[in-house]
Amino acid sequence: MALAIRAQYLEEGRRRAAEICLKCGVCCTVAHSCHVMYDHQFNPRYTFVYDCLASEKGAANPNIWLCVSCHKCEETCPYEVSPIHFIEHLKGEGLTRNIAHPTIRAEVTQVVATGYAFPLTSATDRQRQGLNLAPLSPRAVADIVKIAEKTGLATRLKEAQP
Amino acid sequence: MRHALFLGCFIPVRLPHIEAVARRVLPELGVELVDPEGFSCCPEPVGFLTDRITALAMAARNISIAEEAGLDIITLCNGCTYTLRQANQTLKGDPALRERVNGILAETGHTFKGTVEVRHFAQVLHGQVGMEKIRSAVRKPLTGLRVACHPGCHILSPPDVMGFDDPLDPVVLDEMIAALGAEPVDWDRKTLCCGWTLTNYGDKESANRLLGAKLEAMRAAKADCSAVICPQCFYQFDTGQMLAARELKFDYKVPTLYYLQLLALAMGHSVEEANTRGHRVKDPALEEKLGRLTA
Repeated sequence: MALAIRAQYLEEGRRRAAEICLKCGVCCTVAHSCHVMYDHQFNPRYTFVYDCLASEKGAANPNIWLCVSCHKCEETCPYEVSPIHFIEHLKGEGLTRNIAHPTIRAEVTQVVATGYAFPLTSATDRQRQGLNLAPLSPRAVADIVKIAEKTGLATRLKEAQP
Repeated sequence: MRHALFLGCFIPVRLPHIEAVARRVLPELGVELVDPEGFSCCPEPVGFLTDRITALAMAARNISIAEEAGLDIITLCNGCTYTLRQANQTLKGDPALRERVNGILAETGHTFKGTVEVRHFAQVLHGQVGMEKIRSAVRKPLTGLRVACHPGCHILSPPDVMGFDDPLDPVVLDEMIAALGAEPVDWDRKTLCCGWTLTNYGDKESANRLLGAKLEAMRAAKADCSAVICPQCFYQFDTGQMLAARELKFDYKVPTLYYLQLLALAMGHSVEEANTRGHRVKDPALEEKLGRLTA
């Protein structure tokens, strides 16, 4: 049965890929697949097909954050639909709509502010000094800010502040 | 064999002992490491959010810095490799997208040209240095050390971009471990994710269950330790194991070592020089074995 694709936000390339998904379920049958091992609530077919493609509210489903981005569904999909890319798209939607997992929002904010994904702490300084490694300081910030302003990421982050 | 060393974030900030080992052993195998000014986060967290165009622009900026130095990039991290190789391949093959990204980069003074390659250190060691040279550099063979190899997800998939190994049946890291005289064990759940992403952005209980299943499989295979080539995997198997053990009441430990640490030991460096002392998960039996092998 053809699936009604209601996710209007999908870009054209993704939309074409979505249309060839036959709901065969092979992404869920590979040994050690994510719904068996990672979390019993998560299943790429349900999250991807029903939540991502057939709903306008997929980004609000907390299960998208149970996808570990391991790409096993991509490796096993016989039609190169690549469920992971739809789930990652939903995560991006989550940031725009201020419903993303707070950790990822904090990491991206950190990248734009310092050029590093993690905070630079005195513990890092001490460890590096003990290993005779050069100290760290914020890097490439001016360039990153220019990029983020030009692409709109800076605005998205500002609007997504809790 | 000069390379621009792309450190990323995780290793210099949270695991600098791995950076120190890399700077020690890679040059000894003829891999000269250069530190160009200006690299930033690769940026995996941005790419993970599928802000594709920002991620591509930031990755292109990093690659352009290596291009300006006339050097290929060597990384120490699966995530950085995944992000930079994806961007490099995408932009090399799509002139319109390259033009758009270079438009975004214009004010930074950098331009992506597509003239260099990005490789993980394991790709450099396996594909460029070669197993023969590594075998000949071994002074203290790690004979009898049973190692569960965990290459991690993002060095494997998608294979046409990463070009490292079969994602569903990876063997390259096993070959690299065997070259050190150690014994790679055949273990169940080898290709499962370490759970780092689940720990940070998903559900810690699920991550702990996943980690427990992997560690149990390593123990069933009688592994002395695991070997990893990714800082997120390392952190999960080390600090993550310590934290999960409290929740799940593990009655065993499976220490983890970065491949570069095992390489350092096999090349004749001391345990102190391999920087293994600071690891969270320690097993006296492994320490005794490594002490004996490197004496």
